[in-house]
Amino acid sequence: MRPEMQEYNYDWLMGKTLATAARVPLGTKKETELTYRYIPYFKNIAKTLIDAGDPGIQALKMMSQYYENILTAHAQGKKIVATTFCNSPAILYAMDMVPVTFEMLTAIGSMVWKRGMFDYMDFCCEVGMPETSCSSQRGALGAVLGAVLGGLFEKIDMVICDTPGVCDTNANAFAFASEYLDKPFFQLNYPSSIGDDRSQQYHIDDYKEMIKFAEKHSGNKLDYDRLAEVLSEVDKQDAMIADLEDMLMLKPTPVPPVFNLLLYAGRFCFSGRREFTLLLESMLKITKENAAAGISGLKNGEEKLRMFMCYIDHYTVDLNFCHFLEERGIAHIGSILTRNFRDNNQYAQEMPGSSYGIDISSPDAMLDTIAQMNARLPMVRSIRGPYDKKGMWLEESLICAKMYDADCVIYNGTPGCRNTWGMVKPFARDMEKHGYPTHIMYDDAFDDRVESWEATRERLDEFFKIRGLL
Amino acid sequence: MSIVAGCDVGSLTSKAVIMKAGRIIGSHIIKSKPRPQDSANAALDGALLSAGISKEDIQYCIGTGYGREKIEFVDEVVSEIKCHGKGARWMLPSAETVIDIGGQDCKTMKLDKDGNVGRFAANDKCASGTGRFLEVMAKVLGVSIDELGKLSAKAKEPITLASTCTVWAQADVIKYINSGVPIEDIGAGINTAMAVRVAILVNSVKPEGDIFMTGGVAKNIGVVETLEKLIGKRIKRARKADPQIAGALGAALIAEERGKREKTS
Repeated sequence: MRPEMQEYNYDWLMGKTLATAARVPLGTKKETELTYRYIPYFKNIAKTLIDAGDPGIQALKMMSQYYENILTAHAQGKKIVATTFCNSPAILYAMDMVPVTFEMLTAIGSMVWKRGMFDYMDFCCEVGMPETSCSSQRGALGAVLGAVLGGLFEKIDMVICDTPGVCDTNANAFAFASEYLDKPFFQLNYPSSIGDDRSQQYHIDDYKEMIKFAEKHSGNKLDYDRLAEVLSEVDKQDAMIADLEDMLMLKPTPVPPVFNLLLYAGRFCFSGRREFTLLLESMLKITKENAAAGISGLKNGEEKLRMFMCYIDHYTVDLNFCHFLEERGIAHIGSILTRNFRDNNQYAQEMPGSSYGIDISSPDAMLDTIAQMNARLPMVRSIRGPYDKKGMWLEESLICAKMYDADCVIYNGTPGCRNTWGMVKPFARDMEKHGYPTHIMYDDAFDDRVESWEATRERLDEFFKIRGLL
Repeated sequence: MSIVAGCDVGSLTSKAVIMKAGRIIGSHIIKSKPRPQDSANAALDGALLSAGISKEDIQYCIGTGYGREKIEFVDEVVSEIKCHGKGARWMLPSAETVIDIGGQDCKTMKLDKDGNVGRFAANDKCASGTGRFLEVMAKVLGVSIDELGKLSAKAKEPITLASTCTVWAQADVIKYINSGVPIEDIGAGINTAMAVRVAILVNSVKPEGDIFMTGGVAKNIGVVETLEKLIGKRIKRARKADPQIAGALGAALIAEERGKREKTS
């Protein structure tokens, strides 16, 4: 790793940067401009979020709180758990632990820093992770592994992931973290389908084992009153997410493109916590105002195209992907990360057996609830089995593309994403057969060195033009 | 005094070195030809000419490089990692870590006190950490490889380049040229992309002691200086000979040892 990268602790630097940005709107215009002069590299993303109004500011506050929690965890006697976005942090909050969600940290670093997470990704390769592993883990993992270089990141206490079979590169990244840092590791397992009683029971039993593991290594017993509080907050959040998702269906959609990103960022970082509820309330307020006025969430007010991302978004520096959509009048009608499959969502009703409900009437009901919720997280839900099996990637994408009235479908991922790359071409073929022009992006959502953002942008423009979409 | 030779047939260039009593008396570098034996003959002919001797004067010759098995005039072949280690130690007796960037691969090795290669690592895939990458990029930019190396110092805002695939990187460079980005910024981006990939490899063997670089890319100041920043250590420059001939030199040094051994037996 470059020596200068070792001069500052990554988590401290990122946390303080986000906290400072969250305070920028409190200043006068002159003070704000002055602050921007001192943060030349962070300015563009800070401006983008601050210009998005209260939701952007709430998002900055939320993210700075996320880092603050990591930085103060050990001083407060809490354990830090490395985990994945495929695993809901709600259970960890219920057990008074602090999650570090690798993919979120990589995405934030990629958008905030000019050089993205390149140095940390490369550090992973230096210590032995293959370059072809998924960059979404490699970025944050590099920073976390940097703890061995003298404290680039707070030391993690345990590793929990739930991706064997869902995404083996993801599972291997967490196995690597556990081995390299010599920390206890639990891999939650899933059967290949979750529809019948036998597989449901298998999953719940394994989920209970995960709780036992967390209790053992944190010294905290699961407090069911606390779990009930967390799940009640999730219930509120789910209702607001359902409202936002419904409004995404409107034409023009009143939801600004950046809200999609904030929606799932909040869910992966703060599911069941007040911080996310505040963000959702703020996004919902603006979206409702737009809907009432019948206006598009796009800044220029004109929706020219409705784009469905069938996998993940692009996390290039300065939120350039969002700017690209805004400039061209492209409405972002969601991705695999946006949807949560709560039983009150319209698309979930189109896929019987795909959703979860919330029941806090007893400890067993709560455990069942949180296990079922976990089994509906992105990738776990629909990338786990054969892509064209009922309820899996193809069916889910077709239903969403139809319900949200997509003009086109875009695939974006990372070269390390074996589970989607393995089937993306048949997937694209099948989407085309159903009448959706489909484009496969050959970049890396987290690493502009695979394909520069400029080249990605040109390829997207070319697709929109040739297919007569714009 | 016996005269020995080393011949390194690489993918981009072929080199020959002739030594007498531990001194280089002739050397030559050519651009590799399609057939390895033709490259070897041309490189050796050039070295013989510069040494002012004939082929018959050579008592022992060792071949190395990717085309080594096809060289007809050698007595023996030795791996290029071993030859580069040997050549590097001769050029810089204190060298403990050696980085060799060849035309189609990149290697880093650690030497023990006797100059033998201990731990080593080599790039396992793409061409973007190799000399070929720089050659392709220099061609697109319309500059020589030497000029490309000097562009980094003049850059104001180096570009970020796709560095996983040479062909995509080339497409990026063309795009930047067409959009009017200064050539210095593109050149610096190319040198950085190259250095970043090499740095991963170098750091993976945990470089210690004096670091020395061999191969043609060692002459690219932009890559070397960026690499120094990335690994946080200074890379010692070659004074005694051209770093590009290190492989052939190492082969000649091994030939000298073998020649002496044969004489004794």
